[in-house]
Amino acid sequence: MAAVAGRVPAPSASGRTPLWRDVRVLRILLQVAVVVGVAALLNYLYGNLVTNLRSTGLSPGYGFLRQPYGVDIPGSDFRPGQSVRDALAVGFANTLRVAGVGILLATVIGIAVGVGRLSTNLLVRRSAALYVETLRNIPVFLIIFFMFTVVIQGLLPPITEAIEVLGITVFSNRGLYIPFLEAQANVGVFTAVTGLGLMAAIVVMAWRTRRSDATGAPHHRVLWGLGVLAGVVVVGYLALDQPVALTVPSREGRAVTGGLEVNPSYAALLIGLVIYTASHIAEVVRGSIQSVAKGQGEAATAIGLTAFQRLRHVILPQAFRVMIPPLANQYLNLTKNSSLAVAIGYFEITRVTTSVIGNAAPAPQGFSVLMLLYLILSLGISLVANLVNRRLRIGTR
Amino acid sequence: MRTTRWKLLAATLLAGVILSGCTSGGDDAGGEETDASSVTGETETAAETASEEESASEEDTAAAAEGGGTLAEVTERGTLNCGVNGQLDGFSLNEGGTYTGFDVDFCRAIAAALFDDPEAVTYTDLTAETRFTALQSGEVDVLIRNGTWTASRDGDLGLQWTQTTFYDGQGMLVRADSEFQSLADMTDTTICVQSGTTTELNLTARMAELGVTYEPLLLPDEEQVASSFQSQACDGYTTDRSGLASFRSSYAEGPDSLRILDDVMSKEPLGPAVREGDQEWFDVVNWVVFATIQAEEFGLDSTNIATAAEDNPDNAEILRFVGAPGEEDADFTSGLSLEPDFAVRVVGGVGNYAEIYERNITPLGLERGLNNLWNADEPGVLYAPPYR
Repeated sequence: MAAVAGRVPAPSASGRTPLWRDVRVLRILLQVAVVVGVAALLNYLYGNLVTNLRSTGLSPGYGFLRQPYGVDIPGSDFRPGQSVRDALAVGFANTLRVAGVGILLATVIGIAVGVGRLSTNLLVRRSAALYVETLRNIPVFLIIFFMFTVVIQGLLPPITEAIEVLGITVFSNRGLYIPFLEAQANVGVFTAVTGLGLMAAIVVMAWRTRRSDATGAPHHRVLWGLGVLAGVVVVGYLALDQPVALTVPSREGRAVTGGLEVNPSYAALLIGLVIYTASHIAEVVRGSIQSVAKGQGEAATAIGLTAFQRLRHVILPQAFRVMIPPLANQYLNLTKNSSLAVAIGYFEITRVTTSVIGNAAPAPQGFSVLMLLYLILSLGISLVANLVNRRLRIGTR
Repeated sequence: MRTTRWKLLAATLLAGVILSGCTSGGDDAGGEETDASSVTGETETAAETASEEESASEEDTAAAAEGGGTLAEVTERGTLNCGVNGQLDGFSLNEGGTYTGFDVDFCRAIAAALFDDPEAVTYTDLTAETRFTALQSGEVDVLIRNGTWTASRDGDLGLQWTQTTFYDGQGMLVRADSEFQSLADMTDTTICVQSGTTTELNLTARMAELGVTYEPLLLPDEEQVASSFQSQACDGYTTDRSGLASFRSSYAEGPDSLRILDDVMSKEPLGPAVREGDQEWFDVVNWVVFATIQAEEFGLDSTNIATAAEDNPDNAEILRFVGAPGEEDADFTSGLSLEPDFAVRVVGGVGNYAEIYERNITPLGLERGLNNLWNADEPGVLYAPPYR
């Protein structure tokens, strides 16, 4: 710096630094330059794309979104005459269904396996290790494909020879049908009543917690909450004259009526994604638990907490803080991996896109819409993760 | 600190300079293309394909949109890049890099016409979903992959189809021991369809018309369809009847375990597709196909075309066709960018239409039907324009 400093001229007569040496001005200029550079690059790339599209005689517009999709969508009341945009909406809902249920299940299994890896019980520890080491080392595509071709299509019988356990389920390689609730009259009111019951249960739980804090009496808040909810639901159910009924699947030839159908492609995709992602989540959980200072666990044991209490009240709350960012990463991976469904015929956004491109929609625009949809999904998950992260962060001043 | 900032600024400026360099570089390339195209003198078609809202910039892009020169590229490269299916027995089957089939023979015919060497072809296996993009982007020069010629593909995709090589229709394949006799019987069934094809559209329309409820199982390739069919996850498989015949002939449990229903759901003209706006290349591919058809009509095949001129000294049409025109039209040239004797190369190297058909399709058990010559005993729709 000395050499540089030697070349710095004395401040001008007015005592002010000239503009071109003013750090504040330069800082702004630099940022403007970067923004202009990035904008120029994007503009160039976009112009290049449009020019090339035109030179190959392709339209650079998004008009294909308004064209009819033309194909039935299994498991929805979509009509073939509806537009590609509507088909994408159905696909998006299906992607959300896989991602949502998948994230929930993968988290539950992942935490169980992760805790299991640190168990003192040899069998549990080794089983958990085996699970993790096997599944995370196989490509997820292979797992999904295996689930579909070998497990679902290979092991389950054809529809005409479906397995009907106790006469209430129909399992075949064409669909898994299970008993489910079916809406009757008054179902709207009943849903509202159930919602009220849920709120009442939460209020009661809060009350039990406050009371316990004040008096030291055991709170039993989960039992109280469930009791209140069950009471409200039962009263509502009787008062509204059975607003929901049980529907049981029954098969006649190839037709199955009643029950809830689980699409085989959906089942294969979900199971594949869940068991794969759970193996990664288990490692995140294990790492986070091990990152909690050893003294914390020893202290918990010293004050007489049981093994479960130690985990529930001392270790996991601290481990969660560390866990959130890598966990969010795994959720993003699961969501993005759901695009592999394209290989097994589950109807989600990637499949809609590839099929419309096969039937004359322009590929660059089709894929740009697809990327935008995945971006929206991923940013949504990141947003939630960041909010949770902020809430769990250790307060600092 | 200060030096770092200056370096950053310099880097940004440098990046800017490079960027502008890129842009002008692109312009230069465009300019060269324009020059090249004005030399070959084919500039009409492409501008017309641009839709109305782009007419403002039409003049700028018209020259670039010409996109010509595929023939020059191919000639310089010395091999033809041909996009095929690769999984379809009888049409294009890739067995460890060795390709056989009806579509493959038309790739070979083009190579024979250009290089007098039917083997000067580089094949690319394409799925239904990637085939058009591969052609648009120039990865392949010609796409001969049982792709159906439709208005929207012709219009929206920037492609054009040459003379149809195979007139097909969509059919339905079921297990031989199943109770289905026609499409109308197939209530509550699951039907396997390859995704991204016109077949899924036709199936939807036809079943709606018949009022038959069914569920489609959309799979990305034929191997998946085969495994789903074997495990009885689907009752039927629908695609072009030629595809079904090919599927049936190579089915693991033997062809007799499968049956093709009589219903025909659609018209499926299959043929080579090329990029739109390159008329020279379009003509080359088109006339190679016509040559195979014309040769059959003349009764010329791979065994006798070499001596056709000596055998038919008085037949002016045949003499023109084999590139040895008689005295009265000795200065005949077609103006196509093909050697005068290209038909001899094509038929000598690969065979005429009948030979290609019998070599590849007859073993599948498919009658020629519509694919007969227009003047055959059971007339079909194959008709080549006169070569004069």
